[in-house]
Amino acid sequence: MSMSNNKKILLICIMFIVFVFGGLACAYAASERLVLTGSSTVAPLVGEIARRFETMNPAVRIDVQTGGTSRGINDTRNGTADIGMVSRALKPDETDLHAFTIALDGISIILHANNRVTTLNKQQIVDIYTGKITNWKSVDGADARITVVNKAEGRSTLELFLHYLVLKNSQIKPHAIIGDNPQGIKTVAGNPNAIGYVSIGAAEYEAERGVPIKLLPLDGVDAAIANVRNGTFPLSRPLNLITSCEPQGLARRFIEFARSLQTHDLVEALYFVPVEVN
Amino acid sequence: MLKINAMRWRHFYLDRLVQVFVYLAVLTICAVFLWILIDLLRGGFAHLSWNFLIESPRDAGRAGGIGSILVSTILILLVALGAALPLAWTTAALLAEYVSTTSKFGIVVRYSLQVLAGVPSIVFGLFGNAFFSIYLGLGFSILSGGLTLACMVLPILVSTAEAGLRAVPDSYRLSAAALGMTRAATLIHLLLPIAAPTLAAGLLLGIGRAVAETAALLFTSGYVDRMPGSLLDSGRALALHIFDLSMNVPGGDAPAYASALVLVAMLLCINIFAMKLVQNWQRRRTILE
Repeated sequence: MSMSNNKKILLICIMFIVFVFGGLACAYAASERLVLTGSSTVAPLVGEIARRFETMNPAVRIDVQTGGTSRGINDTRNGTADIGMVSRALKPDETDLHAFTIALDGISIILHANNRVTTLNKQQIVDIYTGKITNWKSVDGADARITVVNKAEGRSTLELFLHYLVLKNSQIKPHAIIGDNPQGIKTVAGNPNAIGYVSIGAAEYEAERGVPIKLLPLDGVDAAIANVRNGTFPLSRPLNLITSCEPQGLARRFIEFARSLQTHDLVEALYFVPVEVN
Repeated sequence: MLKINAMRWRHFYLDRLVQVFVYLAVLTICAVFLWILIDLLRGGFAHLSWNFLIESPRDAGRAGGIGSILVSTILILLVALGAALPLAWTTAALLAEYVSTTSKFGIVVRYSLQVLAGVPSIVFGLFGNAFFSIYLGLGFSILSGGLTLACMVLPILVSTAEAGLRAVPDSYRLSAAALGMTRAATLIHLLLPIAAPTLAAGLLLGIGRAVAETAALLFTSGYVDRMPGSLLDSGRALALHIFDLSMNVPGGDAPAYASALVLVAMLLCINIFAMKLVQNWQRRRTILE
């Protein structure tokens, strides 16, 4: 009796699996499809753009995959992906690819609004972050210990910041490690002796709304979205879509959509800076 | 007399000391688990709701839910287990019942499984991407993700099942042979049911490893978070979703906590359910037969 029971359970399991596999395989219908791979910084943004594009074009499916910038370049070159995502400008040996900037990423050094310091040069920032300068006195500030706020491993802002200062993350001596932009802004706004860095979009937004932080200029250029957009602000990078040849058909339509005004709210929601496309 | 007394006291204290250490170790382990659970509950419970479980993610995962991701995760798991279980358990039966412990063939198979068990998951991911996704042309799909995971959990399933079968006393096999049962019948009707709890424990370990996998799935089942329409669609697994929310999406911490909470709850439910199932099954067999 128990044997027949077991067999029944087994049969139900097998039926279920066959049903799931078979049913799903039948539902699979090929439609117009676009595959994107590349930078994990760009992927959440492109995923959202793709979702909006899909709702406007119901027959189209856009699969966004990640794996990093170099993977995006490789997959685009060998044809695994139709479009690649790259979180930097193309290098001189990558001129075989076509790049289309969909957004800009810029970060700003932030201090508490009451901090006397109004400017820091690159070497001073390096010294503060590596622990060589530990008091604001050494950079014409008040006599107070500096609280160094760093980003958690894996954040794109951390990568960009380290790249700009030519540092490794292991060289940095942080007092606080924070995750996202709002957390960084809260930390600095709540500590008059803190120094941190966050996405420029988020910082400007909060500073305009009266949060007590100030954005430091870098190399004499004001930290402002406008300066990221015109390319003069040093701590910024373009977020690109790349193709191996001049895009045609669906790929071309998608790239045009990603660069249009219709996606600016999505770009800003992820604290990036939209590019102006006329 | 005094000496004997002193020795007795020493033994008493030593005994107590060991007891205290044992309890301390157990408490530490429980505390780690509770700490993780409380941290997840604090960070994610407020975000949790019925809609969170059934909706698809929106706004890069910061709004909406994890419905489509749960479906993808379960499908990947079903594919992985569907492919790995028959292979693993037959291999275990061969190693435990048909080949002697010292045979060259058995040693080679066992050794290769041990090597497979030590391979980092990202290597499985790259292999899965090269073999299933590109060579077999499955692309970024739930199928290639599930098959990659199947390769990953094979060593755990085989070694636990083999240990379970070996733990059955030889007298059972001899009695069965004396009664004229064939080897296959002994295996199916006698040895496998007795080893069932070990098989279930191995299965749970395998499920745990599969559900928690991120690196192997990034390049195989992919990153697409819409509801999968078929096994050939790309689908994002829950662990990958948590990783993405906490690493790449600003403001994604609350949904990441909530998703992690769901993942832990899911694993707990699977564990409890499987344990109960095995218990019931064994009790019924021993009563009826």
